Amino acid sequence: MSERVLTIEEMAAGYDNVAVVRDVTMHVDRGEVVALLGPNGAGKTTTLGAISGIVRLFGGSINILGQDVPKLRSAYLVGQWGVVHVPEKRGLFFQLTVEENLKLAPRLESGNTDEAYELFPALKALRNRMAGTLSGGEQQMLALGRGLLAQPDLLMVDEMSLGLAPVIYEELMPLVRKVADETNAAVLLVEQHTDLALAQADRAYVLSHGDLVLQGKASDLLRDRHLIDEAYLGAEALDQDPAVAGSPAADEAEAPGE
Amino acid sequence: METYLQFMLLGLGSGVIFAGLALGLVLTYRASGVVNFAHGAIAMYSTYIFSSLVDDGQYPIPPLPNLLSMIEAVLGWFGIQVDLPDIPPFVQLGDPWSWPMALIGALATAGLLGFLFHYLVFRPLRYQPPLSKVVASVGLMLMLQAAIVVRFSNRPRNVAGLLPQDGVDVLGTTVPADRFYLLAAILVATALLYLVFQRTKFGIKTRAAAENEQFATLLGISADRIAAVNWILAGILAGLVGILAAPITGLNPLNMTLFIIPALGAALVARFQSFWIAVWVGLAIGAGQSLLQIMEIRLPWIPDINLSQGLPLVVIAVAMMARGQVLPSRGAIERGRLPMALPTRIRPRLMTFWILFAAAILIWAPFVWRQATINTLIGAVLALSLIVVTGFSGHISLAQLSLAGIAAFMLSSLATDAGWPFPLAPIFAALVATGFGIVIGVPALRVRGASLAIITLAAGVAIEVFLFKSDGWFAGDSTRHVADPSLFGIEFGPNSPFFFGDGKVPSPAFGLFVLFMFTLAFVAVIRLRQSMLGEQMLALRANERAAAAAGVNVTSIKLAAFGIASFLAGIGGTLTAYKFGTFNMASFGVLGSLSVFAFSYLGGIATVSGSLYAGSLFPESIGTLAFEKLFFPLGRYEAYLAGLFLIVTTLVQPEGIDVFDRRERRRIGWGFVLLWRKATGNPDRTKPDWVERIYPEPKHKKGMRPSPPATVDAATTHEDGGS
Repeated sequence: MSERVLTIEEMAAGYDNVAVVRDVTMHVDRGEVVALLGPNGAGKTTTLGAISGIVRLFGGSINILGQDVPKLRSAYLVGQWGVVHVPEKRGLFFQLTVEENLKLAPRLESGNTDEAYELFPALKALRNRMAGTLSGGEQQMLALGRGLLAQPDLLMVDEMSLGLAPVIYEELMPLVRKVADETNAAVLLVEQHTDLALAQADRAYVLSHGDLVLQGKASDLLRDRHLIDEAYLGAEALDQDPAVAGSPAADEAEAPGE
Repeated sequence: METYLQFMLLGLGSGVIFAGLALGLVLTYRASGVVNFAHGAIAMYSTYIFSSLVDDGQYPIPPLPNLLSMIEAVLGWFGIQVDLPDIPPFVQLGDPWSWPMALIGALATAGLLGFLFHYLVFRPLRYQPPLSKVVASVGLMLMLQAAIVVRFSNRPRNVAGLLPQDGVDVLGTTVPADRFYLLAAILVATALLYLVFQRTKFGIKTRAAAENEQFATLLGISADRIAAVNWILAGILAGLVGILAAPITGLNPLNMTLFIIPALGAALVARFQSFWIAVWVGLAIGAGQSLLQIMEIRLPWIPDINLSQGLPLVVIAVAMMARGQVLPSRGAIERGRLPMALPTRIRPRLMTFWILFAAAILIWAPFVWRQATINTLIGAVLALSLIVVTGFSGHISLAQLSLAGIAAFMLSSLATDAGWPFPLAPIFAALVATGFGIVIGVPALRVRGASLAIITLAAGVAIEVFLFKSDGWFAGDSTRHVADPSLFGIEFGPNSPFFFGDGKVPSPAFGLFVLFMFTLAFVAVIRLRQSMLGEQMLALRANERAAAAAGVNVTSIKLAAFGIASFLAGIGGTLTAYKFGTFNMASFGVLGSLSVFAFSYLGGIATVSGSLYAGSLFPESIGTLAFEKLFFPLGRYEAYLAGLFLIVTTLVQPEGIDVFDRRERRRIGWGFVLLWRKATGNPDRTKPDWVERIYPEPKHKKGMRPSPPATVDAATTHEDGGS
């Protein structure tokens, strides 16, 4: 049994007075890669935002390592509990150098950034370049490298494949798996690129229009691709399939690592 | 040659102030994206604290609203005389302090001011558009300046010098040593700041937060805390610069406050980014001004017109025109919107009623109320000018009263000296102001927001020093007379006879004339708001690029806005000149322009009827007169309260009094409607459409919202300022 890092129960969150996601219940364990899938506007990014405290929570609870998230300041969340959120646009500071960007990694007391360069040797030659001048792939490496320097307990990556050539994200994606295996972090991966994400993930949740419509083991979902397609298109009869959908039994099936 | 060198070196004294203030401006901008117009005022304020502690051991308490005096006044209505305690103006802290202690005390105050500015004003405004921030910092500037005037009066004050002043021989001339100490100090400070920003983690975090606050938050960096630290640093720096350089520049409430203008010029050249450039340019402006001064005296071919005072404007103008939108934008979310420009229409019956009412007051009311009404109406005309340029087209102009002054001067030349007849002289005078206004508007073609506020402020100062000052082009030493206006043999100046009344100045005839002019301006601005031109201005205000894409001719609309506004300001100026019977440059100073801006914003910058509220806030207007009759005389507190209310307004009611009043009135009115319907047994009739428009849905409370699946993205919820 591995430790439960993230537990979300009946969460509703959104902007101003509009709830974007409603009634989301999910969890991520240590050493596990969980994919959060769904079409545009499903509420994936909002969910991540709620977890890292930048989106308002309307109801329900978010719990990280036994701590109630809405009660924590985001600085505390990141520094103390090792929650790293790599946002959609990668969260880099374009006017800072690669080295300076890495130095901003939370929980990096030593200021020693060598680990990131070991993981991504390509960055080493670029260390004094402005982050804004890097290519998309290099930027994603930098964002991941900075996230890993923080030795996260929970790593959330939003749309890693966005704007990248297939050859690059196909190379980067397995790294996420590696992180989960080696550092025993819990990884939550938001992707539109379903197959790619499912290939790396242990489990997956599918959001549509702010509702959790499907969840299950990645291997099951890969086998029954049509379920995801139907979820994307809003078919509602999925609850009847006991193998994957909704039922707690399927949910509890533990399978970290393959 | 030695003399020139000597003067350049002497000029380093003021150069160090400009450089030091510019350094602080860059620091606060990089830390929080705020152009702090009140930065010079912080320096001035702390220097007064220092001086007061060293000379008398007294610490001045800023003027605070004393509710007890309000109670005294209210009890006074019922004939009860009570004497409740007042807040003392000073705390006596023992004997005069030694200078190191006083320095620490003053710098602590400066740091505290920086912190309070951030925490109480700019942090709450962080998501608001630049307009709100400029307004708030102008309010702070007015307030600090007025606070010192209340406590220490306007007189210049001698400040104990901390640096040795004995002469040093440099290249054959003798210069006081303090210039070099100051220079060394400022260069060391710059080097330190530079190193902190480049090398330390705090510096990297500050730069990161400046680029994107949300990303910084995700890394556990509190942009807010970083900004607070930088604000404190900037405050202390301002205090230090002020105290050290005050023996050179002299100290009065205005001069150091206005040193912000050359400092803004230097910071602009540095794009509010580079500490080094800001400091070098600041020093160069100081040295250059000093050099120009001696050249004006020594060289016969240089006109003797205060050229040195124009140098900051030249620097600012060149920097802006050369670099366009010079302020790099900050990666913060902008959720706030500009004040609502409610649609408006002419309501003949309502207007007739108020016109008759005002006329009745002008004819029959006692003299003080007549005078107050006239002041209110003239103020309202000036406010209308800002409503057009700032409220409708979204450009901050801090030079409107200077433009009014130009028209007033022209009126005295044309009507009195050249003998032009009545309608021609004021119209032509206002047209001259329009010309100047359009020239000031030209930079607006390339810059917006805070940058435009800077250049218009500098232009206002330039108009004051070049045109109005005693040796300027316009004024001359003698007071300029303005003849009473008359048409077809009927006089309607302040001294004109009127068939009825007490015969005191200003006469009711003049009052009716002002009322007529105001009504014309008011109707014209309503028509403008309804017209295509007005709609285009609002489109411009909301989003310049989108407006251009939709086919709005941005250039001509901008110039039209400035032109119309300047014409209105010109009308306001001629009315002021008629009222006094003279042209007096003191009524058209830069601080006056700032106050007019403050009053207009307070009254309601984007709605035509806001002008009347604005007019009622002017000195000696109906609103202030009523306040004084009811409570206590305002006197020197007026400017202070104006600044204070300006800040409070931007924070709690950015729409100004007018929109607030309308909304509340309708809310109350709607309550009555509901009660009546309940009583008549018909409670379920649908609300009229304006209820939704004026009184939006209350904010959604905790818990889920039972609505259809929402697919709203954060980016699309941003509202623009149009209506």
